[in-house]
Amino acid sequence: MKRLLIMVLAGVVLAPAVSFAQSADDDPATLRLAEPDFDLIGLPTNLRLPKFGSSFRVTHRFTRPLNDKFSDVASDFFGLDTGAQIGLEYRFGIIKNGQIGIHRTSNRTIELFSEYSAIRQTSGHALDVSAWFSVEGTDNFTESYSPAIGAIVSRTIGDVAALYVEPIYVNNTNAQPKQLVNDNSTFMVGIGARVRIRPTVYVSGEVVPRTGYKGAVTDSRQDAVTHTSFAVEKRAGGHLFQLNFSNAFGTTMAQIARGGPVENDWYLGFNISRKFF
Amino acid sequence: MNMRLFGILALVCASVAWSACDEKLSSVAGPTPNLEPTFASIQHDIFESTDSSGRTPCMQCHTNVGRNPSGGLNLAHDVAYSQLVNVPSSRLAGAVRVVPGDTTSTYLLQKLIGTPGIVGARMPQNGPPYLTEGQIAIIRRWVEIGAPNN
Repeated sequence: MKRLLIMVLAGVVLAPAVSFAQSADDDPATLRLAEPDFDLIGLPTNLRLPKFGSSFRVTHRFTRPLNDKFSDVASDFFGLDTGAQIGLEYRFGIIKNGQIGIHRTSNRTIELFSEYSAIRQTSGHALDVSAWFSVEGTDNFTESYSPAIGAIVSRTIGDVAALYVEPIYVNNTNAQPKQLVNDNSTFMVGIGARVRIRPTVYVSGEVVPRTGYKGAVTDSRQDAVTHTSFAVEKRAGGHLFQLNFSNAFGTTMAQIARGGPVENDWYLGFNISRKFF
Repeated sequence: MNMRLFGILALVCASVAWSACDEKLSSVAGPTPNLEPTFASIQHDIFESTDSSGRTPCMQCHTNVGRNPSGGLNLAHDVAYSQLVNVPSSRLAGAVRVVPGDTTSTYLLQKLIGTPGIVGARMPQNGPPYLTEGQIAIIRRWVEIGAPNN
């Protein structure tokens, strides 16, 4: 079993890259079939923005749990009749290989983020690696600031799949003062994949195990559940439409670090993104 | 060059953010802005002093100066810790005033919160105002970390 795992991992790492035609593939405006968007579901990808290019994304996480009596869930149209946590995001290619962006969610959290692509698989390296830095604040960026720093490491396999490992440290994920808590920060490792199953159709998934503060509710000794999500996606020109199922509502780093409701329910959601370049 | 600039910018942002991100304890402590989860601080800010809310200090009744301490609990500076930690309640059989590390069993917290089943009134006796949730959270934290005599 261990040998099989090593062989699979070796195969993934040694598999040919998308292409070694560097001049074309080094252009961030070129469509990467295995990595069509800047986000997996909640986690970022290594997709680069052309300088002065931009992208917009809207996220929806309906708050009605799906694992309920089917007739009740259906009568609420699987959550669409209830409230949702909505996110709006805009990112901009500020320098070559570097992008900045803003993401606001409807619980009044604003996240400012930046990403720099340091190593590119298309340049002959085995992996894509980007550096990530973000800071978010609640109540419209006036309270409870949570900076995050991390790396996005990925490997694309031809035009078929992309695998992601994202170690990220999020400071001050606990909204309580550090004097009152055991853990004030979270270290997490986002693990995800996107697989192209049809020319423009993808399935993707991500799970974010973590240590440190795990989003326990005040006076509850129970940790929040580990953020897990899977999705089916359709690419249409510069758009990507994604229908997702998650056990948490998080779309910013601190939200993902805090995990989902302790009940471990599942929720319907969607992402729509649009590139402007 | 671009990468260097980007890195410097990110480092500056990170430094600023890291230095200013944690919530201040005073934002929780409310009318006792200097209250900390230490016994000395609780003694001074809760037991001995009133605060801006007008709350009655515990030592108005829990003292042996000119009277018998209410409930047999003397919170005077020199004896308060030994009267609280691992000491049975004189009013409720089986209850212990402060159980280090056990916030659920600590009778002091139950009296401050007004938990059903306590004997007598919620404290302070003349409340409201009672202690705020933030003040109780700080005392709870002191119990949670083992109720040290610090």
